Amino acid sequence: MSVAPVIEVERLVKSYGRHTVRALDDVTFTVPKGDIFGFLGPNGAGKTTTIRILSTVLDPTAGTIRIDGHDLGDDPLAVKERLGLMPDEVAFYPTLTGEQHLLYYASFHKVPRAEARRRAKESLERFGLGEAGSKKLKAYSHGMKKRLALAQCLLHDPEVVIMDEPANGLDPQGMRYFRDLIRSLHHEGKTIFLSSHLLSEVEQLCKRVGIIDRGRIVAVDSIENLTARLAVGAPTILHVTAAELSDAILEAVGAISGVTAVERTEAGAKVTASPGADVGPDVSKVIVLGGGKLREIRTEQRSLEDLFLSLTGGGPV
Amino acid sequence: MNLLTFFRGLPQVARQEFLANLKSIRLLIMVAVLALAVVGGSYGLSGGTGGTNLPALVMWPHPAYEANGSQMASVFVSDPFGSPRVDVRVTFSTSFRATGDLGEARTNASGFVRFPVWNRTEVFVTAQTGTVQVGSQITWFPSLVNFTWATDQFDFGGDSVRETLAIHVVDRSGAPAEARLSVNGTYVRDVDALGYGRLGLPVGPSDITIEVDTEAQTFPVFVFEDPVGSLFGGPDATLFILSAFFLYLIVPIFAIVVTFDAVSKERVQGTLDLLLSRPVSRSGVLLGKFLGAFAAVAFPVTLVNLVGLGVITATSGESPSGGFATAFLGFTLLLIAFYVLLQIIFSTLAKTGGTAVLFGVLVWLLFNILYNVLTLVVGLLIADPAARFQFGLYAGLGNPSSIYQQLVLLYAPLNLTGFFGGTAIGGDVLGAAAAVWLVVLLVLALWVFERKAAA
Repeated sequence: MSVAPVIEVERLVKSYGRHTVRALDDVTFTVPKGDIFGFLGPNGAGKTTTIRILSTVLDPTAGTIRIDGHDLGDDPLAVKERLGLMPDEVAFYPTLTGEQHLLYYASFHKVPRAEARRRAKESLERFGLGEAGSKKLKAYSHGMKKRLALAQCLLHDPEVVIMDEPANGLDPQGMRYFRDLIRSLHHEGKTIFLSSHLLSEVEQLCKRVGIIDRGRIVAVDSIENLTARLAVGAPTILHVTAAELSDAILEAVGAISGVTAVERTEAGAKVTASPGADVGPDVSKVIVLGGGKLREIRTEQRSLEDLFLSLTGGGPV
Repeated sequence: MNLLTFFRGLPQVARQEFLANLKSIRLLIMVAVLALAVVGGSYGLSGGTGGTNLPALVMWPHPAYEANGSQMASVFVSDPFGSPRVDVRVTFSTSFRATGDLGEARTNASGFVRFPVWNRTEVFVTAQTGTVQVGSQITWFPSLVNFTWATDQFDFGGDSVRETLAIHVVDRSGAPAEARLSVNGTYVRDVDALGYGRLGLPVGPSDITIEVDTEAQTFPVFVFEDPVGSLFGGPDATLFILSAFFLYLIVPIFAIVVTFDAVSKERVQGTLDLLLSRPVSRSGVLLGKFLGAFAAVAFPVTLVNLVGLGVITATSGESPSGGFATAFLGFTLLLIAFYVLLQIIFSTLAKTGGTAVLFGVLVWLLFNILYNVLTLVVGLLIADPAARFQFGLYAGLGNPSSIYQQLVLLYAPLNLTGFFGGTAIGGDVLGAAAAVWLVVLLVLALWVFERKAAA
């Protein structure tokens, strides 16, 4: 990888209660600068624990974390300056207004008061909270709180944005809004650490993912590589959509080198071939020459979900 | 970790904590409670009264004689203004225990009871209505004049000076006498048809003369400028009672009410993670929480205390001595610091809002009620009398409320501590104990927060 990693997590361990329960066990991964990194795992796998440690809320039991080269243990303030956190639970002070929240949080980042006011106003406008900015938080809907969470997370222009289940509890429009926003942050060059259990969300946004299960990292790679790796050793499956498939044609398909099984389906046939075998052209030729009316041959794609289920032992997502 | 890092986040968190608390309803409620206690106490204790210091029932007992010469008690029962109290139970007894062994009677429409006592030379008489009971003694002895009188002094002005002399006069038969009343030889008025008369007297000595027909009796009466003052009056005494008996109970409640969920609330509502992820140090956040909450309590409490000092000065005409007033203001701040720190510690340990409330109640109970019981029990367990004595002397140092009380005692004028009981522990020991308490609580708070804040 040519780009220097901006998040480096090395042999991270977090244990509770006399070190008997290991919430995180030897977690290691890196995130290159400017990447959108998907962090996947079943509930209770250690996603939020990892995020709380990354965002300096929780102290690790062992291991090192570097953000943009700054060691979290040695120089936590430098790390904190470079981080923006959007927590899973969007929780704020009920009696403060949206704007007061932003000013309060900005005050920790040494943003001058006038500049903080300007940024708060701008950021409230950007996230559609222009009018709500002067309202107390107890009047906010869940979606508004989510947007305020974003505003506070980006207010100090952090290099690394950590998001814990950002699409949680949002309606489809809200989820689309968030997707677009994450993409635009990506274009601004920010590194995004996106924890989610919504696989489709991660699939649409991230190139690389890390998968955690029971406190251990089970895979870190690009989605392509991971699915390819999954495909290795697995049979290739072709779904054939065709009419007038005679038994003779199916027999001929079954005789093609590499094909291990053929079965008739409602739309046509399902052809299973040995791993790595590229039987598509032969199958289409046999069907067409045999007089079948071929409409489509589709190679079955291994999805992130298959990958996820196979890596996490099919546990609940 | 350098010093700047150690305090990182302190001013922001302190400011936020201060402002949030200042605007909270619970603080307003506590200010109202405190103001009522301090301002009301200052006014009431320095002699201003709402006119409630007049007795509900006044009894005028007289020795009298039947026409055949046998002895008889004539008792008039009225209010302080001479209006008769009808149907009041009056009992007669042979001893001061007021068993009513001689019998009882009820006052008639004129407020009188006449009760034969035959040849007894003294009886004890009580009058009772509701739960108010007054008692007195009547003795029969040869008299130079053919009438008897009873007197009482009242404070009708509500200024603690009992400048009104009420007189009740009956003749030898126990019936209201037609008496003329004079002060220092000058005729003032006759008593009314029931024998009651009232004289306004100047402060100091006066000679009162009662004339019935041709007979006259003169006796001296003294109106004290401030009858309570001779015991424990004055602005210092008021301030002392206020701080040692009222504020030492209320100020901790104030501090606890404001601080009990300072940390737990952030955790429960989920704002703690976002706060800790900022460029702050744990120590900075904790100290900011402490200073903000402390200021939010100290500011209104000091304000109310200053108003209280003003009220004391206004009602008693002179201000409390400067050193004592300053000590009072300062030690109250110390008391606030103790309890705010205690609550911050427990608030960090509390996982839920309910636990935080419970901890608050327990802390108050511990240092205001349970501690005394505990030291009492421990004291009883110490067999050696000398050791027990030493323990009793210093046991209070384990209780921040007690340290406050003793410090206030230490700075109170000596004539007050003579009356209320002082402290046998020197200022150096008390000061050291206070400092140790502060440092230990502060270090403990930092340590607990470092470990438990985001656990």
